[in-house]
Amino acid sequence: MSAAPVSVRAARDRARSGSGRGSGSGSWSGTRGLLRLALRSDRWRVVVWAASVAVLMYVSVGSYDRLYPTADARAARAALIESPAATALAGPGYGLDDYTLGAMTANELALWVMIPVAIMAVLAVTRNLRAPEEDGRLELVRSQPVGRGGPIAAGLGAAVVAVLAVGGATFVLLLATSLDPAGSALMCCAVVAVGLVFAAVGAVTSQLAAQARSASGLGMAAIGVALVLRAVGDIRGPESTSVWTWLSPFGWSQATAPYTLDRWWPLVVPVVVAGALVVVAFALAARRDLGAGVLPDRAGRAHGRIGTVLGLTWRRQRTSILSWGAATVLSGAVIGLLASAVQDFVDDQPSLGDLLPPGADPVASAFALYAVFLGVLALCYAATAVGAARVDEDAGRAATLLALPVARARWLGAQVLLAATAVVVMLVVAGLVMGATAASTLGSPDQVGTLLGAATVTVPGALVVLGVAVAVLGWLPRAFAAVWAYVAYVGVMSMFGEVLPDGSDALSPYTYLPRLPADDMSWPPVVVCLLVAAALVTVGLAGFRRRDLRA
Amino acid sequence: MTDAIAVEGLVKTFGAKRALDGLDLHVATGEVHGFLGPNGAGKSTTIRVLLGMIRADEGRATLLGGDPWREAVELHRRLAYVPGDVNLWPSLTGGEAIDLLGRLRGGLDPARVRDLVERFELDTRIKGHAYSKGNRQKVALVAALSADTELLLMDEPTSGLDPLMEALFQEVVREHAAGGRTVLLSSHILAQVEALAGRVTIIRQGRAVQSGSLDELRSLTRTAVTVAVDDPAAATAALAPVDGVHHLRPQDDHLAFEVEPDGLDGALRALAGAHVRSLVAHPPTLEDLFLREYSDELAALRVPEEQ
Repeated sequence: MSAAPVSVRAARDRARSGSGRGSGSGSWSGTRGLLRLALRSDRWRVVVWAASVAVLMYVSVGSYDRLYPTADARAARAALIESPAATALAGPGYGLDDYTLGAMTANELALWVMIPVAIMAVLAVTRNLRAPEEDGRLELVRSQPVGRGGPIAAGLGAAVVAVLAVGGATFVLLLATSLDPAGSALMCCAVVAVGLVFAAVGAVTSQLAAQARSASGLGMAAIGVALVLRAVGDIRGPESTSVWTWLSPFGWSQATAPYTLDRWWPLVVPVVVAGALVVVAFALAARRDLGAGVLPDRAGRAHGRIGTVLGLTWRRQRTSILSWGAATVLSGAVIGLLASAVQDFVDDQPSLGDLLPPGADPVASAFALYAVFLGVLALCYAATAVGAARVDEDAGRAATLLALPVARARWLGAQVLLAATAVVVMLVVAGLVMGATAASTLGSPDQVGTLLGAATVTVPGALVVLGVAVAVLGWLPRAFAAVWAYVAYVGVMSMFGEVLPDGSDALSPYTYLPRLPADDMSWPPVVVCLLVAAALVTVGLAGFRRRDLRA
Repeated sequence: MTDAIAVEGLVKTFGAKRALDGLDLHVATGEVHGFLGPNGAGKSTTIRVLLGMIRADEGRATLLGGDPWREAVELHRRLAYVPGDVNLWPSLTGGEAIDLLGRLRGGLDPARVRDLVERFELDTRIKGHAYSKGNRQKVALVAALSADTELLLMDEPTSGLDPLMEALFQEVVREHAAGGRTVLLSSHILAQVEALAGRVTIIRQGRAVQSGSLDELRSLTRTAVTVAVDDPAAATAALAPVDGVHHLRPQDDHLAFEVEPDGLDGALRALAGAHVRSLVAHPPTLEDLFLREYSDELAALRVPEEQ
């Protein structure tokens, strides 16, 4: 349906470009129409990404300002962040000897804006470039006077607009802080540079893989590799002195050292690399058939062993479960390794114990916060699992199964069961790993049990989010975007609830669950959360049984 | 004989649109029933109600003696469904999808699967995302036709198949129906329905406008006659006053006209003395029947009716 205006515009564009530029039959024609289409379908996504990232940055800078008001406090923080385990999650450590708010922001917060921007850029490109090709929409568009390069240019254009929106919104909100505007401008440009590189990476992976899911998966893997490279590099050599750092787009952008050295020249690297990757993407696109990938598609089995909805769901979800599980467990390991650094930090500066969330033991408070972070990772997976069920329904794959003797409750219930099991296993394993690494770095074996408990007690919270997703799918499938909003809300409230106005976290389960090991164990909230989760799932299944299938 | 499908006064609205507007549909056990209508007439909506995927707002639908909404799972053991737009699991091969669909049903006849895969020339080792539309339909057809069910519901099942595969499809459905199975075939490929179906229902804007055996429906429609006579003027004069003769016109040295079933006898009598040299009479095709129900839409599309 939406192809009609595109074709009209493409034709008009072609007519307008005339013979002078010779692009009428060239590979670029129709780009403008496609770009307009991509921006139109992405406009709310862009607004939500830009607003959430910018607000998160603004709030974090504000809370850092409040938590570390004095030079002494900041120096202690610098000592903590210098430890290898903390460096892995922060930056190259510019300005640690005079750790200003700006240096803190660039060193500790910038990475956490760059990561979502990189993810957003990859998703924007694969969504606007590979997904339409996969489901055949692009065939319709390409049969119009649209060149081979048009879809790539439009997909990249949509990602660039999104990246610029995030960078611009962040910059505007940072103007409202006490940070130096010049440094903020550089930092936001560095964030944009990361987005550009990963948009170009997405354009290349979209040529390699024949499915949007594989293309974005390859892009995510590239982000993961880049994060590991910069972590290794920054641990081996602070202030971007390691070669490893210079192999990572995150390393390039962090090498600008905003608020301290304020260097612009490192940004030449991402611009050149992004340009080169775009050239590669166009070259690959010119070499392959529409609908195919460069990577060969191997022939599969002529017969299958899958015979249940649960088996099918496992087959479809296992890559996702293993990826999210790996992210959760690795985070647990890093947190465990951080334990001694936190301990040293508190030992050196006993007065700073007040800066961490209130509780008897500052180390325990830090662990309590990290454990909730693991819970948030697991609940993100749970929401994507229910989102996958919704996609299957819209694609008509649910109808194919439900026309068999398969009850609706069984179809959705099996997927919920697998998601819930995955959440429990992820958090238990992550808790064990966190406990084991903490026990070895702190030399106290009882940490294994303590931290296993801390991670496990976050399970009911993740299950509540799972229940919310199922309830929305069952009753208001069209409003499924609300689930992502709720996931973001729970994530932000769990990590930043302390610095936000009272009561704003009232709808997050983690507000009520005991924060182990800082708090004492308390069963009533755990039981209530489990009951709420069970009730939400039951209500959701009941709604799904009585509503019309969407397709 | 009982009805495998009995639908009365079915109404289904989507927002302001009345997709089904008092639809009646009766499919007798053991027959192949053609379900005809253009895009958007309500064919798929009806089948989705019959499968219990959506719930009708008003009216009654009975499928194999049960309620398609409340007894969906039990009824689905006894039927198979081929959607028009088959979406497979991107990472599963065609063979894995067929085996999955079979296992969820409780088993397919492996010999039958092998036979159909071979006849439809389906490569079962290809992943779902790499199949063409026609091959995705073949996967659904193999899975449905190798299930031993009383009822087969098909919603434009061959829109992606080539003419050879279309012929094979018709042959396979004929074999399938020969065992006494009931088939509801929704289609807008009229030749397919004419070749397979004993009875048809034509729907329009969510209502059945014609229903019956092809013979019955033909008897409601005019026969086209072309006749060569020695004296066209005399023959024209003799035919003109006969009740039920329409569109009488000279064509080169022939006369052409259409005649209603009740007027056939009178027309033949009128021609008796006119020295007929040759006479060709065409019973109406399904296409004629169908286009007659949609003659006003053809006019709106500015397609001349004589074509």
